[in-house]
Amino acid sequence: MDKILEVKNLSVGFRTTHGTVKAVRDISFDLERGKTLAIVGESGSGKSVTSKAIIGILAGNSIVESGEILYDGNDLLRITEDEMHKIRGDKISMIFQDPLSSLNPIVKIGKQITEAMLLKNKANRKEARRAFNAMLAELKKNIIEACGKESEARVSALSKKLDDICIQATKLDNSYTEAFNKANELIANIEDLIYKAGKKQNVYVVGAIREYKKELAKVKDEFLTAKYDARIAESIASLNSVVKAAAAANNTKNEMPEEVEKALRGVQNLLKEVTAQTKPDFFRIALYYLDNNLVEVKNVSSVEELNAKALTYLNDNFMKEFLSYADNGVEHSFKKALENKKLVLEQIPALRAFFEGEFTQKNAMARCKEMSKLIASSIDRLEIIKDSAAYAFEASLSNAIERFFSCQVGNRKEEARFARQSKRRERLVARGRKVEWKVVPKNVYSVSMLRENILTVINRIEERYTAYIANAETVDFDQRAIEMVDYFKARAAETVYRVTKSMAKEQAIKLMEEVGIHEPRTRFYQYPFEFSGGMRQRIVIAIALAANPDILICDEPTTALDVTIQAQILELINNLKKERNLSVIFITHDLGVVANMADDIAVMYAGKIVEYGTADDIFYDPRHPYTWALLSSMPDLETTEKLDAIPGTPPNMIYPPVGDAFADRNKFALKIDFEQQPPFFEVTKTHKAATWLLHPDAPKAEVPQIITDRIARMKKAGGAQHAE
Amino acid sequence: MPNKEQEVLLRVEHLCQYFKMTKAVDDVNFDIKRGEVFGLVGESGCGKTTTGRSVIRIYDITSGSIYFKGKRICAGTRSYEQAIRAARKELKKSDEEVPASRKEELKKEIAENRKKIKAAKYDHQNSDKEYAKELQEKLKADYEKAKEENKNNPEALKKLAADFKQDMYVAKHSKLITKIQMIFQDPIASLNPRMTVKEIISEGLVINGIKDQAYIDEEVYKILELVGLTREHAGRYPHEFSGGQRQRIGIARAVIMHPDLLIADEPISALDVSIQAQIINLLNELRSELGLTIMFIAHDLSVVKYFSDRIGVMYFGKMVELASSDELFAHPLHPYTKSLLSAIPLPDPHAEKRRQRITYNPLESHDYSVNKPTMREIKPGHFVYCNDEEEVQLKKELGL
Repeated sequence: MDKILEVKNLSVGFRTTHGTVKAVRDISFDLERGKTLAIVGESGSGKSVTSKAIIGILAGNSIVESGEILYDGNDLLRITEDEMHKIRGDKISMIFQDPLSSLNPIVKIGKQITEAMLLKNKANRKEARRAFNAMLAELKKNIIEACGKESEARVSALSKKLDDICIQATKLDNSYTEAFNKANELIANIEDLIYKAGKKQNVYVVGAIREYKKELAKVKDEFLTAKYDARIAESIASLNSVVKAAAAANNTKNEMPEEVEKALRGVQNLLKEVTAQTKPDFFRIALYYLDNNLVEVKNVSSVEELNAKALTYLNDNFMKEFLSYADNGVEHSFKKALENKKLVLEQIPALRAFFEGEFTQKNAMARCKEMSKLIASSIDRLEIIKDSAAYAFEASLSNAIERFFSCQVGNRKEEARFARQSKRRERLVARGRKVEWKVVPKNVYSVSMLRENILTVINRIEERYTAYIANAETVDFDQRAIEMVDYFKARAAETVYRVTKSMAKEQAIKLMEEVGIHEPRTRFYQYPFEFSGGMRQRIVIAIALAANPDILICDEPTTALDVTIQAQILELINNLKKERNLSVIFITHDLGVVANMADDIAVMYAGKIVEYGTADDIFYDPRHPYTWALLSSMPDLETTEKLDAIPGTPPNMIYPPVGDAFADRNKFALKIDFEQQPPFFEVTKTHKAATWLLHPDAPKAEVPQIITDRIARMKKAGGAQHAE
Repeated sequence: MPNKEQEVLLRVEHLCQYFKMTKAVDDVNFDIKRGEVFGLVGESGCGKTTTGRSVIRIYDITSGSIYFKGKRICAGTRSYEQAIRAARKELKKSDEEVPASRKEELKKEIAENRKKIKAAKYDHQNSDKEYAKELQEKLKADYEKAKEENKNNPEALKKLAADFKQDMYVAKHSKLITKIQMIFQDPIASLNPRMTVKEIISEGLVINGIKDQAYIDEEVYKILELVGLTREHAGRYPHEFSGGQRQRIGIARAVIMHPDLLIADEPISALDVSIQAQIINLLNELRSELGLTIMFIAHDLSVVKYFSDRIGVMYFGKMVELASSDELFAHPLHPYTKSLLSAIPLPDPHAEKRRQRITYNPLESHDYSVNKPTMREIKPGHFVYCNDEEEVQLKKELGL
């Protein structure tokens, strides 16, 4: 499956006056594209902290102790704030628990929805142009290396031409979209006016029509309105006469005379006809347009014909040659990277041996730098889908090494901490206070585990590269070259795409409709307090979706809402997920909510994932005592017996328990649970749980009656579906 | 479990609570029998909390009456005033329009309503005094009896006199309304951060005139152990406790007054999942040990189903359905109840994927333009807010 986000060994703490609260302790999970991962746990289990770490909004007193969050070739924990800006809200969006506190009370919601669109658009345009230039330079370099110095002049000319084509296409597209958007805007505005007049609202018809007349004149583009210019002029004239008539009748009342509405509807229909045309492919036309005069370009009967003609022209005069060169360049870059990758693979056994043996920090860092350099050279920069493992290698490895030395036994800092805590405990005990916490022993992280962390990074790169080399034979360079051109096209299009305020408004209204807000045109101008709780949450969702993100993080989005509204919002998120192929991280404490939403579920307790599996695994075959407790502590509609409450409260995370954190409240706890943390035991391929009960030597623990009964009941009710 | 013969502890009749133009609660009727748990559900803003608060007289109700242990403790006058106003309007009309006999009737009606207003106002203000008077009289009678019995024992007489004085003092200060106690939703906001747990819990006793410190201490310790805390907790402050323990303190504070009726206003919705079950179990234990009657207000339907004997469903200030909890979940009749039940999330992925949510739109579901709806008993013990047409239809639905 396609992993979109990988969280590896994440640990987060918070500095407080009493000590460091270990909120998240060494958790790992993957998020697949188009799937929902639910994180379940009670408050303080670290589920919100995990999500906040992903989008980089942890509180100021937080420390990311270790780990990495890989997304699109970046490690989100290590990139700068500027780089994070490009991802936060744009690629990864978040919905918070309380809709009222995430909306600005004194700004109209329309503005709040469009604000991000307008700001992001400007930044995106610059970014796209930069990416375009960088990729083109890289390609040129590779082509010259592949074909030798003598081709340099030709390649330069070709890349100049590509640039020209893209710019020309950009210009044509700009002008076209501008006119197109003007037309769309006018359609919407006319609709607005007629709607308002129909509702007897305050409108100034004559003034509005004068405005429309001016706007209508601006709907002009050599491709869009070539055939409609005459009719547009006609419409303007008709509007003129209507306005005169209306002005002569001294129409100051808020009503719309019939003939005015008729004229406006006429304009609207004309514009709809205009906007219904197929859009020409400007990237194809650009070169044809550059080399020939306009009359010839326009002298075709249909857009399809023009597209076809332009395509053959483009292929004959530019594309074939460019593609053959690009082919060479891509192949060269690929082969070069492949060679280096093989080199890396050769080096890896030595590297592994090095880290398995004795090493000092200085040594290790030098080795890491050396290897990272090699890996950096082994990255195929012309690849469009980035390999996160390779890009983040240096950061991951150096971090693992640092951790290896900072957490080891004999570490001075660690010694000092242990002495300080022991002293404090002794002092309290001497004073006769009952001390509930224990001092964390020095070797929380055994050397073998820390070493394992380093080796994981190395193993990952080896695994990726082995797979890569195995697939090297099947790579189609022609296809890659075409992909490359597509990439240039997409970047150029991004550079063109300009969002105006009115466009943003149209888009916002579409979004509001999508999330189920009625009469979005009037709602657009209202303040947050004029909405009910459910509607507010919908607006927050609309804002989160405005940038069309890849990943949506929902942090208890329905806790503040009641049952019926909750069901609506969940349905909405589910539908949007399907429509937009979103990946969702859904955080909640309510297992009932999760059943509807999740594909995968991670149950968290005291900063650790205690059980991980698909929804079916967790609900029909739970293995961890905490999951049992969660399931049996809430009644469902059939429950009549006494509830199985979890005794006690969660542990103090300043002094996390040495063994299993849940042991104190667990009636199935074994002796080993208090001494050692359980590792993950695999139940099936998709399902794992961290409890010693799954160890082959463990005594058999019975699943609580209340759960077995419930599962039996559910299976009976489910009938055929469960038999599958 | 509910029984037909059981005594009605609380009766709410035509309760209306308006805040200016907002009809928070509009014409709600129900009664709670001794020993049962009465659940009140509905979406936020439907008036379930307001109902609870009106019962405990945090608000002065607009109209209707509330009877507790057979005595009217709350009464509103708006409905009578409206009746008088309507009658007066009709009186003003000329003789041709309204015949003289009708006018006589109207005058009588006005006089009657005036009397009712007076009675309501009297009951509203003096229910506690009456209760105190009754208690005092009972004490006096008991005292006289005891005096008669111990005629020859001067020491016992002395002791009796002292006890009588103290008891009379307490009786004079006691109020009927203290027999209704409330547990609030947010355990952090509802406890005074500057008072120790002992002060918080004993406050009710102190206000009621009990001065015997040893007795207070003993009561507090007893109640602390009852709700699952220890004696040592008495000297601490609320911030030293976890959410679940704070809620236990809130419960202790309510239970120490030996109430007959406990109003629990969403007592678990602000708590953690693992703590919620603890509190539900505690309330269940208290109920069986102390014989409490509980009015349980919540929006989590599966908890209400688990905990309650009878359930009332509210929608926009109206009670739309009232039935025993099994009956309500087995045969929901009102379309709003159906939509509410269809929205309950279940811990079963396959069932969830098949779930069909029913939406409720009052304008589509009902046509009340001609035939006005009222609360009707469709089946013994099962009430639905509907009109004639719907009643026939619902009866058909149930196969009656």
